[in-house]
Amino acid sequence: MRSLSIDLVHELITQSLAAWHVAGTVELTGDCTIVIDAKPKIRIEPAQAGSVFRWTITIAGRTRPAISLLAVLRQVRRALDPGYAACRVRVALLPVAPS
Amino acid sequence: MMATELIPVSVLTGFLGSGKTTILSHMLRQPEFSHTAVVINEFGEIALDHELIEKTEDSVIALTTGCLCCRVRSDLTKTLQDLLRRRDEGACTQFDRIVIETSGLADPAPILHALMADTALASRLVLGNVVTTVDAVAGELTLEREAISRKQVAVADRIVLSKLGLTGEVEASLHERLTALNPGAPTSRAVYGRIESDNLFCVALHDPKARVPDISSWLAEAPEHNHSAHDAEIKSFTVVRVEPIEAVALTLFLEALAEHCGADLLRLKGIVNVAENPQQPAVIHGVQHVFHAPAWLRHWPSDDHTSRMVLITRRVRREWVEVLLDAISAEVAEVSASNR
Repeated sequence: MRSLSIDLVHELITQSLAAWHVAGTVELTGDCTIVIDAKPKIRIEPAQAGSVFRWTITIAGRTRPAISLLAVLRQVRRALDPGYAACRVRVALLPVAPS
Repeated sequence: MMATELIPVSVLTGFLGSGKTTILSHMLRQPEFSHTAVVINEFGEIALDHELIEKTEDSVIALTTGCLCCRVRSDLTKTLQDLLRRRDEGACTQFDRIVIETSGLADPAPILHALMADTALASRLVLGNVVTTVDAVAGELTLEREAISRKQVAVADRIVLSKLGLTGEVEASLHERLTALNPGAPTSRAVYGRIESDNLFCVALHDPKARVPDISSWLAEAPEHNHSAHDAEIKSFTVVRVEPIEAVALTLFLEALAEHCGADLLRLKGIVNVAENPQQPAVIHGVQHVFHAPAWLRHWPSDDHTSRMVLITRRVRREWVEVLLDAISAEVAEVSASNR
């Protein structure tokens, strides 16, 4: 299994923009920040140690936290894809043992 | 859980005039189909198809309130519940399978939703094969013109080429078109309703007679396919993972697919090695944004314990799906490790 690295997240965001057919370029800076050069401009950083959140996202100058990569993807797509309407259906948690 | 008493529900779909009723009528005359309940949907005010089916049992039901996919999903649920009640009360044949024949204009995906999303039905029924008929004479033109016919082919577990009594041979271009739309689905031939394959509606995973579930057949895995320009948006590919996947990661992965792909995820089916329960494979399948509750096989059918998920999609990039699963799995693993 691949370990969670900023490179993997960078790859995920790059592939996500391509998958969603939205314009923008994705760069990984030396201080482990992912910068999406698009309209609006977006920065994704690991949250500070001790935070209950895992990621910090800055969209058009406004910073908000995200608890998971799924939350990051949701915020990024909402910002970049005006036609995006998230499906509200929830997938029930997989039972870890047969019932 | 993969109890043998679960009754498989197969869906017979195909565009208008592609020979669904002829094939079904022929099949129901065979002894092995004597314990089959049939639900027929027609698009129109007067039902005719069920009159064409020679069946003395009262287990043939016609739904005439509209196209099954868009207007009568609740009717389908009620009909299936009623069928099960009658079976339980001994008021009809103790059927061991159900076949739903859709209207030729039906999008099969919402029908599969209805079968998978109703929790009461899910405890009694299990989705069987989706069989799609394609007219060997007019099929190519239909696929060219009708998007719904392409979708019917794309979600199929098996494809039946009909009307071979009229044409004899199938044009290579039609074969190529079908392969482009759904490279994993085996193709059978029907001549005047007679099908060369006698296991059209057999569902290897749920066949109580099968000692070992036929995973490969069910998954119908196929390498990523290069498509013709016509069908370039629809593609199928298999995501394979050797290491077990944590249950939470799998759930989040499916949720992300549902959230970001929606209607573009035409079909997903897979067998997954869940880290918390590696002895028994979990069987998952979904259509668009609806996923069936995972079922557990009693044991792995072979020494191959890799997770395999087959996706049939429209405009969904494989690269994104692969890195999505990797990233979610990695994050879940990191969180799990930090909580220990």
